[in-house]
Amino acid sequence: MRQCVQSGQKKGGKPDGKEQLRNGWMLFCFFFKIGCFTFGGGWSILAQMEQEFVEKRKILTKEELLDLVTVGKSVPGIMITNIAMMFGYRVAGCFGGLCAVLGITAPAVLILSVVAYEYQYLKTNRWCRYALEGIQAAVVPIIACAALSLGKEGLRSKTGCIICALAVLAGIFTDISNPAMILIGVAAALLYHFAGQRISAHDLQEDKTGRE
Amino acid sequence: MVYLALFISFVKIGFTSFGGMSMIPLILDEMQSHQWMTAEDMTNLVAIAEMTPGPLGLNCATFAGTQTAGVAGGLVAVLGVLTPAFTSALLAAVFFARFKNNAVIVDVMRVVKPICIGMILTVILTLSMENYAQAGMPDWIALLIGAGMLYLITKKKWPVPKVIVGSAVLGVLLYGIVPQFILKVS
Repeated sequence: MRQCVQSGQKKGGKPDGKEQLRNGWMLFCFFFKIGCFTFGGGWSILAQMEQEFVEKRKILTKEELLDLVTVGKSVPGIMITNIAMMFGYRVAGCFGGLCAVLGITAPAVLILSVVAYEYQYLKTNRWCRYALEGIQAAVVPIIACAALSLGKEGLRSKTGCIICALAVLAGIFTDISNPAMILIGVAAALLYHFAGQRISAHDLQEDKTGRE
Repeated sequence: MVYLALFISFVKIGFTSFGGMSMIPLILDEMQSHQWMTAEDMTNLVAIAEMTPGPLGLNCATFAGTQTAGVAGGLVAVLGVLTPAFTSALLAAVFFARFKNNAVIVDVMRVVKPICIGMILTVILTLSMENYAQAGMPDWIALLIGAGMLYLITKKKWPVPKVIVGSAVLGVLLYGIVPQFILKVS
């Protein structure tokens, strides 16, 4: 896919129809696979995207993945379909976004349609329950590894660490919902920005040189 | 027209929720006001959505739609719940691609990103407490599987699908087969 992406960019971001179809199909397949193995409330999609797109195919940097996740979480709707849309758009425009969303949706819809009919049987089958308990035990390490590796990237400044710690405390000890937390964060950032101060301008400088 | 009503309900749910468990009360409201499902159906729905792969929101929409109006109902409900992804997330993607380097956006992202990491950490803490304890006692088998998988992910670089399948096999072995074997032997 990386080659497709690059050739698409060479032509000034306007790949021809055939290539667009191929990009779309690949996005669909990737997200279909991811959709099949997403347990634990969607956050494990992070781990899978990191392995697939950051480490293996190098389409994204950790920083960019964290950007996608942050924006995807901040707009309404289901986080991972939002992330799929944004990633697909980045790789292959609107059509790519559509393919990625359909890819991540398809396994859930297919599996649920079957499970809905067999629910009574599955609920009482103990082997099923044992397997699920095993999977549940694996969800925490899966998400934790992705979070740690992304955290290294996103928490380079002291301010960042403090904000992160505050968010954890608020999440555990208060009833502030996630969207509200993001809104508070945005408001604080805007206030800070327009009060004339830039949040750690030094870090920003580093970021820019790093990108070049 | 039940399909249209389902679609509109789930568009509403999609735009007013942010995925995960936060959708449950909204879905319950819509289902009960249309008399499509009872509270007991909802409990089943949550159990099913949690034991199948895929995001909770999509699973809930599929199941609720299927129960109300068959497979076509499920599809319509999913399309409804996906509307935000096709609209606001697309807008966000376009907007973000264009203004990524804008000073205001950079500052906002500098604050929101750590918040986002904080949320993930919170989820990890909550999940650890749920998954590794049973009735207040540590669940040693779960801890063992968790530690084993942590080793395989970090040291052996196992991909997630392999980890999921491996942990399911371990679950069947350690919760099911091994205790039975011990019972037989003793």
